[in-house]
Amino acid sequence: MSQSLSEECTPLKKEYDSCFNSWFEGYLEPAVEAGRAGQRTREANAQKKAEEFEAKCGKIWRQYKSCVTKALKDKGLDTLLEQARQENPLVDPIPPPTSSNSNN
Amino acid sequence: MRFFSQSYTYDDSWAIVTLAFFLRYPNPYAAHVISCDVISREQTPSGSLVTTRLILKKGSMPRWFPRGIVSRAESWVIEESEVDPFGKIVRCVTKNLDHVKVMQVEESVQFAQIAEGKTLQHTEARVVSKFGWGLTKKIENHGLSRFKMNMQRSREGVSLILNLLRQSRLQPMTLGAPAHAEETPMPDRERTNTDQERNKTLWSKLKTYLSSPSSSH
Repeated sequence: MSQSLSEECTPLKKEYDSCFNSWFEGYLEPAVEAGRAGQRTREANAQKKAEEFEAKCGKIWRQYKSCVTKALKDKGLDTLLEQARQENPLVDPIPPPTSSNSNN
Repeated sequence: MRFFSQSYTYDDSWAIVTLAFFLRYPNPYAAHVISCDVISREQTPSGSLVTTRLILKKGSMPRWFPRGIVSRAESWVIEESEVDPFGKIVRCVTKNLDHVKVMQVEESVQFAQIAEGKTLQHTEARVVSKFGWGLTKKIENHGLSRFKMNMQRSREGVSLILNLLRQSRLQPMTLGAPAHAEETPMPDRERTNTDQERNKTLWSKLKTYLSSPSSSH
C-alpha cells in the first residue's frame, strides 16, 4: 500500500487499508451473501455491510481520518480541496472535519 | 479542449476487476504515485460506496515548457468514485487540483458488468489548458498524448494486480468445500472455494505479494 501524504499517518493508513480491503472484497459480491442468508432487500444488505465495517474497521478509520484531516489542514490543502468540491456540483460536500482543532 | 474516449473489455468478473482497480496503488507501473489517501468514504442508504481519495503524483514538464512557471512537478489529484455492488457498476472521476491553468485533465472511468461475466471499462478524458501565450494547443496535445500513454501503463498495472488476485484465488485453500449456487455465470475456478474462505484469504495473500521487496515501490 502506498504512503500517506503525512508520514505520521502512514501506519494508520496501512492498517486501515488492510482492514478496508478485506471488508471490500465481501462488499463487492452482495448477491452471493444475500443468497446464502435468504432473501434480503438491498437496503438491509447495505445496512448489514455498514455494521460489519463499523465493527471491524470503524475505530481505525476514525483514527486514520482524523490524522489525515489534521495533515490536510497543516499543509493548507483543505482550502484547495474545498474549492475543487465547489467546482463540481455533482459531488456531495466534504463533511466537516470530526477532529478537534488541535495545534502542535 | 481535447476529448478522448476508449473502451476495453476484461475477461474477469466485475467484482474482481473492481477490487484490482482499487488496489492498483502501488504497483511497478505507478512509480509516480507518491501518496494516496482516503479523505472521505461513506456508504449511501441504497448501499453504494462513495469515496474521495487524494493522490500526489510526480510529473515532469516537457522540455519546451517555459522555465519557472511550475515550481514543482508534483500534482495533487482528486479521485471521486462510486461503487454500486448491486447494479455492478463503478464510476470514477479523477482530476488534478493544481497547475489547473496550465492544464487540467479530467478522467472519467466506468466499469460495468456485461454478458458472460466480463467487465467493460469505458474511459473518457478531457484536457483543457488556459495557458495562452500561443501554447494552449501544444499543451493540450502534449497532455492528451501523455494521457494515452499513462492509460496504457495504468491498464498494465490493473492487469498485474488482476493476475496476482487470480493466482491467490487458484491456490488451493480448504479443499472439498461445497460450492454455492450463483445467479451470474462465473468461471469454474471461482466456485472451487466458498466465498467466505476466499474473502478471508484473497486480500491477505495479495498483501504478501505486494509487500515483497521487489514490488515495494
